[in-house]
Amino acid sequence: MTILKNNSNQLDPRSKIILVMCISTLAVFFQNIFWMIPLFIFTLLVSIFFKSNFFNLIWKFKKFIGIFVAMIFIQSIFVSGGEEILKIGNFTLISTLGIYNGVSIILRFLIIIVSASVMATSSSRDIVQGLYQWKIPYEITFMVAVAVRFLPMLKEEASDMFISLQLRGVELEKLSLRKKLNIYSYLLMPMIASVIGKAGELSLAVEMRGLRADYKRTSFKTLKLRFNDYIIMLLSVSFTFLILFFYFF
Amino acid sequence: MNISLKNVSYNYEKNNFNPTIKNLNIDISNKGFTALIGSNGSGKTTIGKLMAGILKPTKGNIFYNAENIRNMSLGSIGKNVGYIFQDPERQIFAPTVKEELTFVLKIKGFSEEEIENKAEKMLLKFRLSHLKDNFPFNLSRGEKQRLALAAVLINSPKFLILDEPTTALDIRCKEELKDILKNLLNQNIGMLVISHDYKFIDNFADRVIEISGGEIKNDHFKK
Repeated sequence: MTILKNNSNQLDPRSKIILVMCISTLAVFFQNIFWMIPLFIFTLLVSIFFKSNFFNLIWKFKKFIGIFVAMIFIQSIFVSGGEEILKIGNFTLISTLGIYNGVSIILRFLIIIVSASVMATSSSRDIVQGLYQWKIPYEITFMVAVAVRFLPMLKEEASDMFISLQLRGVELEKLSLRKKLNIYSYLLMPMIASVIGKAGELSLAVEMRGLRADYKRTSFKTLKLRFNDYIIMLLSVSFTFLILFFYFF
Repeated sequence: MNISLKNVSYNYEKNNFNPTIKNLNIDISNKGFTALIGSNGSGKTTIGKLMAGILKPTKGNIFYNAENIRNMSLGSIGKNVGYIFQDPERQIFAPTVKEELTFVLKIKGFSEEEIENKAEKMLLKFRLSHLKDNFPFNLSRGEKQRLALAAVLINSPKFLILDEPTTALDIRCKEELKDILKNLLNQNIGMLVISHDYKFIDNFADRVIEISGGEIKNDHFKK
């Protein structure tokens, strides 16, 4: 296991996985906003404890603010109930129920994002090793590691493709929606071709380096669950069941 | 069209006090072949991307004639300047070679006849006629390079920026590329070529700018 100076990070990635899974499960089950708010505060405290960079992660989602706001309108228009706040003729644009549902969706999203940021405090190699020691087949854990490794590269490629498309003299801001969609469809082909190409090259490379050649893998670095890890896992699971019991019964 | 960089600095990281590009001043005219050379990590590609508007300077400004490109969209920059990425696959979009040349023209509203004429001319010029129905990703590196160039040039840019165009090309493909670039120079299309290939540059360059640590180390006209 990677030894980091930060004490909170010395927890085994497996205990973090359990903790994050418990928080996410609660976020999915909770429909009541008054249960979600304390869960969100708890998630923030957990992230602060693990010194995760959750603020940056949330900031990256700023482009989706429009979608979140739209969520309130969509909920108000399509879900009847609550008091009408803004109305055009017989058409309800904003209602208290719409705001309530919209905010609860946003909160659920934030809880999942912030809790997932805790996983970023362990290296991807440690997470893969943890999953492997949980008897998850190495082929699957390896795929997880590869996905983590390749995502930023794919993002950069997609961004370059989008730029080069515009540099062909395509002024997107002047195009109609139909033409814009047509243009975006051209981005799919090179991205899929690039992913398939990379997958082929990578599979050859790992075969050449002897992946799956041995009956049993050995690891230079092994993870060991400590007392703190067991406590965190036990508390996370038992509290999750307890909270769900009180929530539903 | 002249491209001018005025006191341009660029930082990839916000709080880094050692910028990749440091207070750069360059004027490049749209005629002739300008080579940008330097070791790995010296900032050559960053300068190319700044000139094409792909990156925005953290300090200073870049002008096409008198127009600050901060106020221009990538689409309107693309009408003046063509950019060829180091990896041509990043600028190939369509399922066939011919469609790769024509799809942007269709979106721009050219007539079928004009599109057909322009595409046939480009296919001939870049020796791609026999490949017009092929899947572009199955072409050789040299063919992809030619296709990327043809697809950019079909939009009639006034200036070209080529990032390491000779990477992974064999001698024959380099010769073909040389011929194409010579033709473009004869048509008064200026170009900035970012390269490590000093032999390739030596044959052509009217001007060589050497970059080191994000600054100009040497700038001389050869003819």
